[in-house]
Amino acid sequence: MKNLLNTLLALYLVATALNSQQVGASELTVEVSIPKIDSQPYHKPYVSIWLETSKRKGVYTLAFWHEQSDWFKDLRQWWRKIGQQNSPAYDQVTGATKKPGRYQVKITREAFAELALPPGEYFLNVEAVREEGGREFIRQKITLGLAERKTYQKSGTHELGNIVINVTP
Amino acid sequence: MLINATKTLTELKKIMNNTMKTLTLITALLFSLNVSAHERFILPSHTVLSGDKTQSVSHVASISNAIFHGDRPLGNNDKGIETKNLSMLFKRLHTVVIGPDGTSSKLSWQAFSRFSVADMQVEQSGTYRIAIVQPNTPMTTFKKSDGSFGRFFGDKGVVPEKATNVVRRTTASRVESYVSFNELNRVALKPTGQGLELTGESHPNDLFTNELIRFQLHFQGEPLNEVTEVKLVQGATRHRNQRDEQIIKTDAQGRFSLTIKQAGFYLLSANVDVEGQTGSGIDIHHYGLYATLEVFPQ
Repeated sequence: MKNLLNTLLALYLVATALNSQQVGASELTVEVSIPKIDSQPYHKPYVSIWLETSKRKGVYTLAFWHEQSDWFKDLRQWWRKIGQQNSPAYDQVTGATKKPGRYQVKITREAFAELALPPGEYFLNVEAVREEGGREFIRQKITLGLAERKTYQKSGTHELGNIVINVTP
Repeated sequence: MLINATKTLTELKKIMNNTMKTLTLITALLFSLNVSAHERFILPSHTVLSGDKTQSVSHVASISNAIFHGDRPLGNNDKGIETKNLSMLFKRLHTVVIGPDGTSSKLSWQAFSRFSVADMQVEQSGTYRIAIVQPNTPMTTFKKSDGSFGRFFGDKGVVPEKATNVVRRTTASRVESYVSFNELNRVALKPTGQGLELTGESHPNDLFTNELIRFQLHFQGEPLNEVTEVKLVQGATRHRNQRDEQIIKTDAQGRFSLTIKQAGFYLLSANVDVEGQTGSGIDIHHYGLYATLEVFPQ
């Protein structure tokens, strides 16, 4: 009996210790550029930027720029991982489609605190799709919970330009 | 010594019997290939949809060996063209759409020369399964005395005198496609218990290139408890010199897995043959499945 209690206590302590290991204090910013594309007619792209676990489970949407719900499905990866399951969850990050230019979105320290994610590897995804145009999906493995600031860079080739991801502890 | 000899004899007989059975089965199979060599499919305009308002999907169905290019219609209501010798078959078919909540509805096909067309509305979020079901249809095939091949449908026909290779069979099939509106679900994917059906871990509306896809075949509502072969063909065979059919072996529970390199529409098909019960007047029952899958790029 005493042994069992001790074991339970030990388990409890381990669990609390693990639980306190969260990436709550971090901030993640993503700079993304939408390239100018010479096309007639030109439609601004639908874009989504989101975080996934290393097992590709959707965690959080940083940006979702769109027009009509009929075409949400064309952001295929975002749609299957996040979009189709919980539409209210990304309400606060939605906006109209953007014209070519450079944009910054982030997961704030407050948002991270709420998410209570364990440190480790994640995927940061950027997807863009344009009516009468192409589609591009960029995925970057990132580490959350590191002691120092880390920068990742990726570059699109068609529908997306330069992408810079910064994780600041 | 004597006991042993008897035992050996009995075993030998058993082996002989089994061999004979296998041989009959093989002959029957060879013959069945001649008569059911045509592929069937449903090609939906969309398999994945989103939106706040009701959406519609237009389906094309055809009996054709050119995958996803029509050759002959598959199904007809009274608005289509006259389908002549196919009418008998179409009368036996029924199309069932199982909705996200498990309720069934009908779908009406209109026949054109080369394919049939049907429109479907999706209002409820979730997954829809569309199936053209052909219940057991009796057919007898034989070789006439002049060596030519003969057959008749139903059980009223007469086998000519001196005909050989007479096989009395039934054929049943399911021709299926899957459509999801907003969030996917699995209610419609539950086996109905009729014929050969596709189930398993992967959702037919969540297929992407280079990801492991896991399916399982169910037969009469239970996991298929035999090893069989599943055939996968990418659409547009007409524009390729080779059909590039992929044959995938299932395990003993009908499970199989695969990865697909190229996005597109694929036709997955499988067959199961069951020997008729002695005295039933049927030598073999064929069950077929034709499922259309859409695979998206990463």
